[in-house]
Amino acid sequence: MNQMSSVPLHPPPVPGLVSFSGDRGEFRGLVIRGAGLELVTFGFYRFWLATDIRRHLWSNTLIDGHAAEYTGRAKELLFGFLFAIAILLPIYLAYFMVGVEVERAKAFASLPLFLFFYLFGQFAIYRARRYRLTRTVWCGVRFWMSGSGLAYAGRAALWGVLALITLGLALPWREAALERYKMRHTYYGDLQGSFAGTGWEFFKRGWGLWLFFMTSFIVLFVITPLTKYFPALKPLSIIVGLFAFLVPLAAPFLYAMFKAIEWRWWLSGIRFGDVRLESALSESALMSLYWKVIGWFLLISVLFSAYLFACAALIAGINHTPMTKLFTQSGLQGGIPMLVALVIGYLALILAMNVVMRVYLLRDVWARVIASTTVYRLEAAANVAAKGELANALGEGFADGLDVAGF
Amino acid sequence: MVSGMDSGSENISEPSGPGMSAIYFDGTSSRRHAVTLAFKDQLDINADQNRLATWSYTDIRRADSPSGTLRLSCLTAPALARLEIRDAAVAAELTARCSELDANLPGRRGVAAIVGWSLAAAISIVAMVWFGVPLAAERLTPLVPPALERRLGDVAEGQVRILFGNKTCTNAPGRAAFNKLVNEIREAAGMDGAIQTAVLSTPIPNAFALPGGKVYLFDGLLAKAENPDEIAGVLAHELGHLKHRDNTRNLIYNGGTSFLIGLLFGDVTGSGALIFASRSLVTASYSREAEQNADTFSIDVMHRLGRSPKAMGELLFRVTGKQVDNSLSVLSNHPLTEERLKRMSDEDRPPSGPPLLTAAEWASLKAICTSGK
Repeated sequence: MNQMSSVPLHPPPVPGLVSFSGDRGEFRGLVIRGAGLELVTFGFYRFWLATDIRRHLWSNTLIDGHAAEYTGRAKELLFGFLFAIAILLPIYLAYFMVGVEVERAKAFASLPLFLFFYLFGQFAIYRARRYRLTRTVWCGVRFWMSGSGLAYAGRAALWGVLALITLGLALPWREAALERYKMRHTYYGDLQGSFAGTGWEFFKRGWGLWLFFMTSFIVLFVITPLTKYFPALKPLSIIVGLFAFLVPLAAPFLYAMFKAIEWRWWLSGIRFGDVRLESALSESALMSLYWKVIGWFLLISVLFSAYLFACAALIAGINHTPMTKLFTQSGLQGGIPMLVALVIGYLALILAMNVVMRVYLLRDVWARVIASTTVYRLEAAANVAAKGELANALGEGFADGLDVAGF
Repeated sequence: MVSGMDSGSENISEPSGPGMSAIYFDGTSSRRHAVTLAFKDQLDINADQNRLATWSYTDIRRADSPSGTLRLSCLTAPALARLEIRDAAVAAELTARCSELDANLPGRRGVAAIVGWSLAAAISIVAMVWFGVPLAAERLTPLVPPALERRLGDVAEGQVRILFGNKTCTNAPGRAAFNKLVNEIREAAGMDGAIQTAVLSTPIPNAFALPGGKVYLFDGLLAKAENPDEIAGVLAHELGHLKHRDNTRNLIYNGGTSFLIGLLFGDVTGSGALIFASRSLVTASYSREAEQNADTFSIDVMHRLGRSPKAMGELLFRVTGKQVDNSLSVLSNHPLTEERLKRMSDEDRPPSGPPLLTAAEWASLKAICTSGK
């Protein structure tokens, strides 16, 4: 760093540039160490790992030469989680009781009660976003949020019903409406946010994907059964076979394309007062990342199988039992060493996959998305008065407890 | 020391150190203040002849920053006031003066503490699952009102009927023989009349009890039985589960266990817990101890009826001999069939009571599911 003493003090940052300066190796080390600690702490380390990941990503995201900062701490997440459990326990018991009453009237009638948890999950997503936002600081001023998690959950559910009825066609408009609600209630200091993206724009970019998805669905799940009942449709089975071969190959490309379109549309719609964001993320920008993840998953699965085989061979060698017996159900139930080896291997498998996902789908996606972004009229945020209170981490706790994630 | 680093406002420089520039955010607005730093007894932050802030070195803490930038906060300043230093020499100078700079970082001991507490929490949860939950289930089961138990039974009944095709066998002579058999066992067991029984037409050789007094016998088991005593033993076994309220205990045990495990791994929705709990009702998998108790009960009842308990053991052996791997069977999670057969054979006594069913009644019971088709 000493050579810096001879260069100008503040290299003039390129106006409007948003950049990511995080070191990939450092992040990889962070998540590998975190995965190891998650293993020895039975998962409790997830609060610290999530916080470390956010601190790394935030503090390496530079807007106009100034890095953002994440001021949340793991203990807040831990307490949020514990409080969420205390609140969820009676809800869960009540849910069980209501479920019993409904089931008594009609078997499996309690399934719609999942709707309740869907609503609750949306509420949690909103509140978790509020927590993260109030821990996000740029230039000594924090972001914050108003609005109501319940109002958001209601909107999300109603739009969800509409999206379901229209077979997903309404999805872009749903996202736009929800983003408008979120951004309208988002502030940077006293600068109010808004969302300028429209459902139509999103639809225009993504309708081809929707069409492909619907076509594949109809071909694979409607035409296939039909060809069984109507021999006249037999020639169509060539098309079916083609799709069955094509869809798994195309899916990672198309999903990566969808995510890229979504990111670009979302970022380009964000406004804070006069400040405007613009993303130039290309549709193919994320494809290589998804394929790398698939490659790693395959490699890890092969290693896992090899490990299981080696363990079985070892145990068979010690016990003098034939290998084939170890893989029967009674062999697995009886053989405690095999069970222990299986559990350890499985946990290692899950953690390794988590590391891969965090490096490629979190850090790398983040870096590519950030690199594609430009900010215009940033001077409107040059003198913003600080405002807004810190929100508690209860929402994060609910989101953790309910296993939902949102942005 | 590095010299010539200050860009303007040299006049603030004090003998104690050269003025050095940095960017300061006062935490009340996003305005960038280009400032010079003066290292005195405390750190002076100055802009255009004005002193913006004075930070005591021991109160200065490091804030997150990208590499190449030192970002500082101060305990006594507004929480979000930040000082950004890009110059390595200035950063080194400040770092040397601030002894408590990294006091907020968790460090090695912090991580050890997290690991230690997590282990303690995990051990406590495991201990609760091992000792606490069975104890709680044992103590709570008698407190569950029979009305609630009946409701649970109704729920499970609905699911069972859907899972197994809702085909109750209603052949009238068969039904009469079945009722006679059940009544004889029920009276010998000293249980009241609030027991509903039915034979379901499904090839699975199984029988189970649901909370609130419902006993189901599957036609598949009936088909494998060779005499009324075999079926009587199985029914008495199921009544034993009812009498001991094993279903309710199981429900509390499974619900509590999966909730605690979920706590450990983060899924507290109870969605997992709910599945486990309701599944336990349907599959009726009890602990080995509960099974042994139910066997004891069955042996007892059969003695009281003056019939041999050995018959049930023989039926079980006949069934497991052919169907080892049936996870839905009443036989899974049970003690080894050989052990059970041996135990029941040990209790074998020559019949002292009248046969439970006449040959004609037994024949119609065997045929209870035939006429409906």
